[in-house]
Amino acid sequence: MRADLKATSQGPDFGNAGFSSELHGLLDVLLSVRKRILANTVLRRWMKSWTWILAGLIVAASISPKLAWVVILAAILAGIGVAFAMAWTWRARPSAYEIASRVDSAAGLRDRLSTAVHFGVVEQPDAMMLRQRQDALSRVPQLNATGLFPIQFPASATRILALAVVASGLFAYRVYHKPPIIALLQSTARSQLVQSILSPITNAMEKDLQRTVALVNTELETPADEVHPGDDVPVADDLWQPEKDKGSKADAKDAMDANFGDPDKSGNPDQNKQGDMKSGDQQQGDPQQSQDGNGNEGKPGDSQQKESQNGSESKSLSQSLKQALKDMMSKSKSDQAKQQADAQKSQQGGDSHQPPNADSNKKSDSQGSSDAQQKASPNSASGAGTQQGSKDLKKDQVSSPDPKGTPDRIGLEATGFKEQTRVRVDPGTGTAKLAVRDVTTQGMVVTNGAEQENIPARYRLYVQHYFEHANSDQK
Amino acid sequence: MTGSAQMEGQTGNPSLGQQAELLAKKMQEVRSEISKAIVGQTEVVDGVLNALLAGGHVLLEGAPGLGKTMLVRTLAQAVALKYSRIQFTPDLMPADVIGTSMVQEGGEGKHLLGFQPGPIFTNLLLADEINRATPKTQSALLEAMQEKQVTVGHTSHQLEEPFFVMATQNPLEMEGTYPLPEAQLDRFLFKLRVPFPGREDLHEILDRTTAGAGQQVASVIHGPEILEMRRVVRTVPIAPHVQEYVVKLVLATHSEGRENLLANKYIRYGSSPRGAQTLILGGKVRALLEGRFNVSMEDIRALLLPSLRHRIILNFEAQADGRTTDDLLDEIAGKIK
Repeated sequence: MRADLKATSQGPDFGNAGFSSELHGLLDVLLSVRKRILANTVLRRWMKSWTWILAGLIVAASISPKLAWVVILAAILAGIGVAFAMAWTWRARPSAYEIASRVDSAAGLRDRLSTAVHFGVVEQPDAMMLRQRQDALSRVPQLNATGLFPIQFPASATRILALAVVASGLFAYRVYHKPPIIALLQSTARSQLVQSILSPITNAMEKDLQRTVALVNTELETPADEVHPGDDVPVADDLWQPEKDKGSKADAKDAMDANFGDPDKSGNPDQNKQGDMKSGDQQQGDPQQSQDGNGNEGKPGDSQQKESQNGSESKSLSQSLKQALKDMMSKSKSDQAKQQADAQKSQQGGDSHQPPNADSNKKSDSQGSSDAQQKASPNSASGAGTQQGSKDLKKDQVSSPDPKGTPDRIGLEATGFKEQTRVRVDPGTGTAKLAVRDVTTQGMVVTNGAEQENIPARYRLYVQHYFEHANSDQK
Repeated sequence: MTGSAQMEGQTGNPSLGQQAELLAKKMQEVRSEISKAIVGQTEVVDGVLNALLAGGHVLLEGAPGLGKTMLVRTLAQAVALKYSRIQFTPDLMPADVIGTSMVQEGGEGKHLLGFQPGPIFTNLLLADEINRATPKTQSALLEAMQEKQVTVGHTSHQLEEPFFVMATQNPLEMEGTYPLPEAQLDRFLFKLRVPFPGREDLHEILDRTTAGAGQQVASVIHGPEILEMRRVVRTVPIAPHVQEYVVKLVLATHSEGRENLLANKYIRYGSSPRGAQTLILGGKVRALLEGRFNVSMEDIRALLLPSLRHRIILNFEAQADGRTTDDLLDEIAGKIK
């Protein structure tokens, strides 16, 4: 008998056909009680799902610009919640034995009904079981199932009602307003406190970005730093030796500096003033002479072959640098020419002495007012005004020359934004030292454009983008 | 013919249900007879009757003068059983309890070695202040309590049923006592604590004992009836969830389970399986005494303390924290549903 009873883990259920016919009255009562229990369970689970749905609706209405899909999704989830609650409740429905146990607890019957139901499937009950069954059945008429198990809303109904009110109010608000969380975040982002917190971070990020770009550009421009077997690799002690050993290297740096367009150090300012192309041609020849000189004036113990190799490598380095610089300068000039041409077009018929735009105004700063039409002409792209302007800009950029007299700084490609009159370049910041294998030619990169303290941080990217778009349009 | 009688006729065992109803009625009569001599102490009386019908033994613990001996003597009169009393002292020997072989004069001038039964050969034995005897003498009761027999030499002597031991011990005077070993404690079905009577009960005790003669206790039930009642008790059905509750309770007193934090902290040894048997048997008796025919959770909870309090050994931490077995069992019962 015990084995038969153990076969039903949850006790005998209503579906089992082995119940004694005497227990039908008891089973009917238990069935009605089970319906009420299931109804309460479905209600409770459905309300629980509604709690999550309403919370999701509130969140979505607070952050989502569109509400239609949110409402549709909520309706679908509500339907799924009902179906799931019903299915899950029916799947985990209590057995007759469990229902009887609950009724025992609720009615204080001291396990009479559950015992009777459990032993109600025994085929050959003994007298004590029958007596117990009779005792249990005698209590059934006194049971008040509706009073013991009323269908009632769960205790969370109040909370759900409050959530529903909040969600309704939020949706009504959203009919005419933006998502409140988005609006709050925007207003917070505009606040002075957030600006004071984020501004240094933004500056640092901009500097890092520019340094990274500069480093990448520099690495691309200096492929000749490779050390081949048999090369004269400078040892660390050479760094600390005085000018006697660095004379040749200083010459090389001078040559590089000349390539970077510093007319004061190149020793040939007239050629630089003739224009970019011409200056580039001239500069391309200078390093060769300098490198040759370095080889002759270098260490006397080096063999002639090594000197020739060093000279050829230095030559290739200078050529690549010159080529990159030439590309950068020509691009910059063409951009400036396009901008000036646009400015000229926009101001045709006006006062020709009025500064056409900020860009041209900056470039002609050293010469006073310049003729806008002259700047717009292709032949005057490398004219005096433009040349002088770029010269001033590079003076600003390379404002701290190497005390050893070696030009070790590389000017970045100038953009239209960086050349604005409001740009104030801080020579102390935005400078990064680039460690290269040839320690004698340390690359130093000067970045600018991120130190415009006059422009609020939150507008800098917009201004940057504006000018970049303007440049791209001109192209 | 009632419905129950009709059903009993169908099963061919018409007397079982009636015997159950008769048992409740008889026990009510015994209660009323005991109440003629014992004032109050309802729980103790119910516990003693429960153990009598369940076939177990009872250890009564209480201060002197609370009526322990009076209760046993009154019960013996009410149930019409043979009654004997042994006052346990340190110099009491096992032979003084179970008997010994003595040279007896037989017929034709022969002398034979015969067994002289001790006071244990009775139906209702009162072992007064059992913890004052040495463990050797205490152990003389082990076989009698469990197997209902005593062995002297190579001969085993069966004890007469029903055999019911009621032992008493004084919790105050512990000097010169020998605490009962766990094996013997486990053989007691219940350990009942005899409380001090309340004000009203005390007045009633004074009125009865200091004025006039006491009432005569009548015998309302006999030994064979008790044995039949014991058989009926075992037929009471118990639902699986009630039995599962008993198992949970007993397992909760063991410190092996990782979830038994209370047992891990305070209990050195938990209840034996006899504890679970006691709970169920006692629950069946209690159900019948209350006119029910099934064991309920309330029965188990009501019998938890007397059934398990002497089967649990606390550790040093519990003693240091002043925890008692009753506290821990109450806490365990509160946690297990």
